[in-house]
Amino acid sequence: MKFGELGIQTFIRIASVLIILGAAVELVSLRWVHPLAFVLFAFVAVSLIGLGILIYLVSLVLAASPAAANLGQDTWAQQ
Amino acid sequence: MGSTGILVALIGVTIVLTAVLLVRPAITAGTTGKILAFVALCVLPALCIEAGMSTHMQRSEQTQFCVSCHSMTTHGQSLYVDDPTYLAAQHFQNHRVSPDMACYACHTDYTIYGPFKDKLQGVKRIYIQYLSTPPATIHISGGYSNLQCLHCHAGARNFEENPVHHPMMDSLTSNQVSCISSGCHDTVHNASEVGQLKMWRPGQ
Repeated sequence: MKFGELGIQTFIRIASVLIILGAAVELVSLRWVHPLAFVLFAFVAVSLIGLGILIYLVSLVLAASPAAANLGQDTWAQQ
Repeated sequence: MGSTGILVALIGVTIVLTAVLLVRPAITAGTTGKILAFVALCVLPALCIEAGMSTHMQRSEQTQFCVSCHSMTTHGQSLYVDDPTYLAAQHFQNHRVSPDMACYACHTDYTIYGPFKDKLQGVKRIYIQYLSTPPATIHISGGYSNLQCLHCHAGARNFEENPVHHPMMDSLTSNQVSCISSGCHDTVHNASEVGQLKMWRPGQ
């Protein structure tokens, strides 16, 4: 397995964890009609899900970038 | 299934698909896996944010939402005062505003970014409630604008033909004379008094 692929899989795992956590927080916020539920959604759930999406998109850019792939191979060689 | 039910189902599907990728990220090596990853890690989460924001924005317009805050308890009770001179109670009890959205109907800023500004104000009030000291008497920042009254009353026959309103219409529309603090309709919530007042009980 190339390091680049391993790196992308790690990114996908991190993105998955963040999105699952964000979605769980959103579920909790939907069960509660209170101003704090809005804050919980707007600041915690949106941040976690947004960060998860961002990390996934970054992984796509890294996967498509030859420089990043080379960097990954170099790092793999050093290990 | 209501819109909240659809949103909960959407979140459930997102969690399940994302969990599959968490357990087996190697499936993204194939084309199908890449499509699945794009849907589960980008499309569905973005939909969850959009639908969640829409649901929370609608919920924050409900009377139940506003009066759930401790500082607003007496304001909520003031809607049930059994006295027609209490402006907020009169509007609420006679359905001049929707009872489910009574606070929002009279307190929102009826401009293009009004609902967004309301939410920012709301977040500021949550900060004051939980991380600062709420004032004994709550005041609306910038005062209460007549435009919020005129949003419904302007153009209404019984408002415009009223012999008191008619001669001062320009002053009212330009906000030079306040509807609620010029001695005309100045009994609004009077939240500090509700403990001593007779309350209306719906259905009795």
